[in-house]
Amino acid sequence: MNMNKVTLLGYKDHGKSTLIGNLLIITGSISEQRIEEARAMSRKLGRQFEPGFILDSFEEEREGGLTIDTTRAQILYKGHAFEFIDVPGHEELIKNMISGASNADLAILVVSAKGDEGIKDQTLRHLFLAKMLGIRRIIVAVNKMDKVAYKKESFEAFSNRICKFLLAIGFDRGSMFFVPISAYKSDNLSSISKRMPWYKGKSLLDLMASVAKVGRGSTNPNLRMSVQGTLPDGMLIGRVLCGELKEGQKVLVMPQKSSYKVSKIFVRGGAAKAARQGQNVAVELDNKLGFNPRGAVICSAHNPIMPQSRLSAVIFAVQKPENDTTLNFNGIPFACRIRTNKVIDTTTGKRTAGTLRPLGAAEVTIELKDGIIAEPFFELPELGRFVLYNKNEFAGIGIIT
Amino acid sequence: MIKQDMDELEEKSTFVIREAVSKFRDVAALWSMGKDSTTMLALARKAFLGKVPFPVIHIDNGIDFPETYQFREELAKRWKLDLIVAESEIKPEMSGFSCCGENKTVALKKVMAEYGFDALIVSIRRDEHGVRAKERTISPRDKDFKWNYKDQPAELWGDYSSKLDEKGHVRVHPLLDFNEIDVWNYIKQEKIPINPLYYSRAGRRYRSLGCTHCTSSIKSEAKNVDDIIRELEVTKTEERSGRDMDKEKLYVMERLRALGYM
Repeated sequence: MNMNKVTLLGYKDHGKSTLIGNLLIITGSISEQRIEEARAMSRKLGRQFEPGFILDSFEEEREGGLTIDTTRAQILYKGHAFEFIDVPGHEELIKNMISGASNADLAILVVSAKGDEGIKDQTLRHLFLAKMLGIRRIIVAVNKMDKVAYKKESFEAFSNRICKFLLAIGFDRGSMFFVPISAYKSDNLSSISKRMPWYKGKSLLDLMASVAKVGRGSTNPNLRMSVQGTLPDGMLIGRVLCGELKEGQKVLVMPQKSSYKVSKIFVRGGAAKAARQGQNVAVELDNKLGFNPRGAVICSAHNPIMPQSRLSAVIFAVQKPENDTTLNFNGIPFACRIRTNKVIDTTTGKRTAGTLRPLGAAEVTIELKDGIIAEPFFELPELGRFVLYNKNEFAGIGIIT
Repeated sequence: MIKQDMDELEEKSTFVIREAVSKFRDVAALWSMGKDSTTMLALARKAFLGKVPFPVIHIDNGIDFPETYQFREELAKRWKLDLIVAESEIKPEMSGFSCCGENKTVALKKVMAEYGFDALIVSIRRDEHGVRAKERTISPRDKDFKWNYKDQPAELWGDYSSKLDEKGHVRVHPLLDFNEIDVWNYIKQEKIPINPLYYSRAGRRYRSLGCTHCTSSIKSEAKNVDDIIRELEVTKTEERSGRDMDKEKLYVMERLRALGYM
């Protein structure tokens, strides 16, 4: 069964873990034992039942009432399988949020309608990151409707503001969906709540089912195979990112620009005539390589990607880039220089001249000593994204534009 | 329990196992002769065209089931495994936490130091336990084997290139995305040999296998792989409910894992 990966986004305490916890319970996706454990824990801490404890398994998470690290849980609903990726909402835990959300196909933004909670900078930053990470569809769940007397005006005010922001950062109207909920009271989660008769849309789970799985991966027909390394006998191992790898095919190994013919292909342990997108392969070429191929890209000979040492990119910086920032691309670290062209306000989407600050984004030009085999992110994600490190510290992410 | 796409799971595991072997200097795998680590070895054989390319370590406290030892001998011979048996001494007064925490972890530390392994493949799965659900695919341990779960590396888009502690080692988790039922479906699809303790005898079987002291069997009539898959399709109990160690104290898994346990 195909798994739809769904990340939860939003500021701390707006109810992400509670929502997943209740969805697990409603859909019967979790054992009585796990629910009982969460119940016992809630009692022990002198609180009302907290469904979020099903997800938040660390002691520090339960006692502190926050999610520290990303976790996953699966449900089955009307023939669709979903895997929820819960992420922390705190600013200082954004590295863990990015790690979790980077694997998702769909995002649910949880924003609390309650009094002083509302839309925070972090709420909008998460949406901005979702766009950067390549998530194509967003469901906006306006939560804690029970705390605002289930008022239509409240839902509409939040929906309108978030809709405007999503349009400003490049989502189109057809890729965003809005639903008013109470995660704690299970309003509009699986069935339509009588407490909000003015809401004419679908429940959250029905919305999820209606937007389940659009195609993943690139539609580029040209062969690009990323090389991981070699087998003891010298055969190359790696993954076909797009196009098709065929026996007898003429290929160029880039950036070394050496040409070969494919003599043998092995897929899933056995010999094969061809390998397609997403498959891991072992390949024998007609000649010895004479160089370490890790990080190389095998391209169809008639349409290869040329190496580039200057890239245009958008980065999100958790730390400010330094002179010795490294760029990890396709499994390999590269020394680089990053020049900020415009900073992007992650709460409005506006681009202006200025200085890049931590938790900010920018349009940049990156200079590399060595050429890399890159493509724009929205054409071939695997060769269009990178991770930045300041020494050993995660410093941010980037996409090639 | 949700059945996932077998091909997708196999591709991901293949990539991770090959990544570990390509990226790290000296890789070894833990093999408990249970269903998960045996499935991982089957995946490694396919990824490396018929031969498991790294040594496999059995942390042996001497009190595994006789069937388990026999299974180890048979499969090690048949698959030509480079088997390392790391003996740990069991003390009768030890309970689950201290046994798994001290005995097994101490023996593991010793064998890792002796051979100088810098990467250890461990066949844990997210659906086994809430704490294991929080793991990364490639997860660093410091020189004392500690898991700094409050500051795990970024692991984006399946990019496993984060910087690691040079004095420590990494744990590689190629089966992290498998569910229990997926493991059994894969065992069925690939006809993987399995420890007979998983099959029902006289109305009982083991669903999760540890050593004789703290693993208990469950009531079951499942006598073969198909029966087990059918049983799992309807079960309402947790896989590790027969493992005493998990129940001893709150957060015991978190504490054990923070100290270097699997």
